[in-house]
Amino acid sequence: MYQSKLTIRYLTSRFIPLIAVAAVALCVALVIVVVSVMTGFLNMVQSSGRTLMGDVVVTYGLSGVPHYERLMDTLISHESVAAVTPIVDGWGLLRMPYPDRDAKQSETVQVWGIDPHSFPEVTQFAESLQWKTVSENQRDWILIDAIQEHEHDVLTQLNEEDREFVIEHVNNAARTLNFEPVGLYDTIRNKLPEEDWAYILALDSRLTQDGDVLAQGLSLERNGKPAIVSGLHVSEGNERQEDGSYQVIRNDYWWLPRYSGTLTMLPVDAQGGIIEPESIVMPFANEFMSGVYIIDDTRIFVPLHVAQQLLHLDEAEIVDEDDPTEVVGVDPARVTSVLVRGEEGVDTNELRANVQSSYLKFYDEMPIGTFVMPPPLGDPGLVIQTWEDQQRSFTGPVEKERELMRTLFSIIYLVVAALILSIFWSIVFEKTKDIGILRSIGASRISVVWVFLQFALVIGVAGATLGTLLGWLITTNINAIHEALGNPPISIAIVAIILGCLTIAWMIKRSRTGDFLPIVLGTLGTILFACIALVVFDIRAMGGLVIWDASVYYFSHIPNDVDWNAAIVTSIGAVVFCLIGAAIPSAKAADIDPVKALRHE
Amino acid sequence: MSDAILLQGCDLRKTYVLGRAEVPVLHGASISVEEGSWVSILGSSGSGKSTLLHLLGGLDRPDADSGQVLYRGQSVWEQSQRAINVYRNNDIGFVFQFYHLLPELTVLENASLPAMIGETNESGLERAETLLTQFGLGHRLHHKPRELSGGERQRTAIARALVNEPSMLLADEPTGNLDEETGGEILGVLKELHQDGLAIVMVTHDPSIAAQGTETVHLRRGLIE
Ligand SMILES: Nc1ncnc2c1ncn2[C@@H]1O[C@H](COP(=O)(O)OP(=O)(O)O)[C@@H](O)[C@H]1O
Ligand SMILES: [Mg+2]
Repeated sequence: MYQSKLTIRYLTSRFIPLIAVAAVALCVALVIVVVSVMTGFLNMVQSSGRTLMGDVVVTYGLSGVPHYERLMDTLISHESVAAVTPIVDGWGLLRMPYPDRDAKQSETVQVWGIDPHSFPEVTQFAESLQWKTVSENQRDWILIDAIQEHEHDVLTQLNEEDREFVIEHVNNAARTLNFEPVGLYDTIRNKLPEEDWAYILALDSRLTQDGDVLAQGLSLERNGKPAIVSGLHVSEGNERQEDGSYQVIRNDYWWLPRYSGTLTMLPVDAQGGIIEPESIVMPFANEFMSGVYIIDDTRIFVPLHVAQQLLHLDEAEIVDEDDPTEVVGVDPARVTSVLVRGEEGVDTNELRANVQSSYLKFYDEMPIGTFVMPPPLGDPGLVIQTWEDQQRSFTGPVEKERELMRTLFSIIYLVVAALILSIFWSIVFEKTKDIGILRSIGASRISVVWVFLQFALVIGVAGATLGTLLGWLITTNINAIHEALGNPPISIAIVAIILGCLTIAWMIKRSRTGDFLPIVLGTLGTILFACIALVVFDIRAMGGLVIWDASVYYFSHIPNDVDWNAAIVTSIGAVVFCLIGAAIPSAKAADIDPVKALRHE
Repeated sequence: MSDAILLQGCDLRKTYVLGRAEVPVLHGASISVEEGSWVSILGSSGSGKSTLLHLLGGLDRPDADSGQVLYRGQSVWEQSQRAINVYRNNDIGFVFQFYHLLPELTVLENASLPAMIGETNESGLERAETLLTQFGLGHRLHHKPRELSGGERQRTAIARALVNEPSMLLADEPTGNLDEETGGEILGVLKELHQDGLAIVMVTHDPSIAAQGTETVHLRRGLIE
């Protein structure tokens, strides 16, 4: 068959097929990356809500829902409800324990009082905790803190020689662990007699059980005290690494679970007036990362009862207005919201309807004569929403962006299709004379068109495959690439400068022959390399460039999952457009009389 | 047998349309070619020689009010598209002034292309090789056309025209682009083919070249005189 032979010859001749494959591959990769990141982003926006607030939320603004335990019992008894958990939601001021003096001291935080038992059943709290175990440095810091805090007891426990050894090493470590690992734990363990070592280990449970840091986070308790779990971006000490993970600055010197913070909240009375602020000092137990930037940046979790106390939502006696000594009733404890998680496969809107009817039941079944009644279902302050509804108010602009993105997607698809079409159009158009020759020696129209269809098919499939590969590589590494772009290594600039110099040298050498092309190419090349070097210097001078600003896009990671549906559609689309782009001009050329095609130059 | 008429053009008309302007080129030219003859069509440049040859070779369509091209008594342009393809592929061999070889294919592939297209004869490659060797291109089989001289390209084109063993060769100024010596070589090749019984229709503007044929007709003012 002459077609296959000719197709192969066309494919293996000169650069044009390679350029066509590269162009198709780049187009496909571009679409895959853009679509993957955007759908990933939208998915993240959607699902993040679920991670943080369950499926349906019952909220009653400032004064909270009384008898919430009863409400929860009613809710859970419905078959479509899998778990419920109470929340006290308010704003507070957290005084940060940063060890360096000139650091920022206080953060405004959104405080969520949670019930450590039921909260993880409704949300993905456990998975979001950052510190699952303690690192070696963190363990050394715990050891330093423990010994310094209980210095007197420890020193009386030890003999004279060990005492000096421990004092010296702990003091040294406290100064130098900032900069490099010191291995204090092993040093002291090897020195001390077993029972003294055991005494020291008993000072902090995290020294022996390194999973305790996770357990403390889950229970919101450290050393028997209620503790804070704060969002990873609340502390200035957590620094994002190139691979997207986080590290604590200065060798964990700023590791939050070493310290305590002071939380101040403003309770509001029944009339909405502010009562005297309440403060409490609490240790940090752990940190969490939900992936939603504004939450990781402002949210902290504390035990439910602590938040209730700080906001005066705990149980209180109601006294007679005229005689404060006479107790007339009890104001029950309240929570601002109840989060509900549905059973697997239950539609959230259906779940919300069920929650609504359960609420009605709860209200109707309140014993007659209850002193403080919960708000009725029609109360405007009482909101029962699905997480999607809740999300909508929180990411309203993102929904708009989604529409914009849809439009952009279609434009990108059109541009790519037009590009591929025009590439093939021009390749085949250039071969019009060949088509004239083939027709003049008796080739049929179909067989001529088939040559170019094969050509396009091979290029399309090769381009789509390479493009998918490239798109996959870029998408899965997009965070690292973003990081590198934002902070390009100086070596790139140096290489660019060297290449630029080489280009100039090459140009001078070649231009002696008087040819014009080397001068054009050389000038373009030099400009290109100079631009690369300049851009690198410029970005470095600005102290790095952040394209994906977490505070703008809500998420700290760029989504890096390939949208395979889009990849498949794009690849098929690319091949189809290659075929169309080859079929139309070749059919056109095959249709005219051979002599006309032969005249084509 | 040698008196039988192989190809006949009767009252051929061709008018080119350039935008609004009509350029009449052939006004009813008639020509007939007998088997085994060598007809030279002599005419000045622009007189319509190529146009006439294209009509005869089934490469360009005559006007609607034109007469017919008859091959062995059968109208070429009234046949099916498929039959026209067979006519181009199998019954005639066409040699262009500008060779018209496919640049991506080798000399051998170019010469055997009509055999591959026609799929009529398995031994196309062998015949192409024999022809090329016969034309002194045995050492050039796997070269690309751009590596060849004009004369070598034209010989390749002639080999291509002959590979399907047509009964007639249509040559449009086959020496027009070559120097005298190389042109002479090409004419030598044609002469040999003619001696072996091939009918040839050759177009030229050079009376001395036209004299190589057995018969010379003149194309003037769109008519054969
Ligand atoms: N496709 C075309 N469109 C318009 N005019 C044409 C076309 N082909 C040929 N002609 C004109 O027809 C005339 C005859 O052309 P042609 O047959 O090539 O002459 P010759 O081969 O004798 O030199 C010329 O004037 C030429 O310009
Ligand atoms: Mg001519």
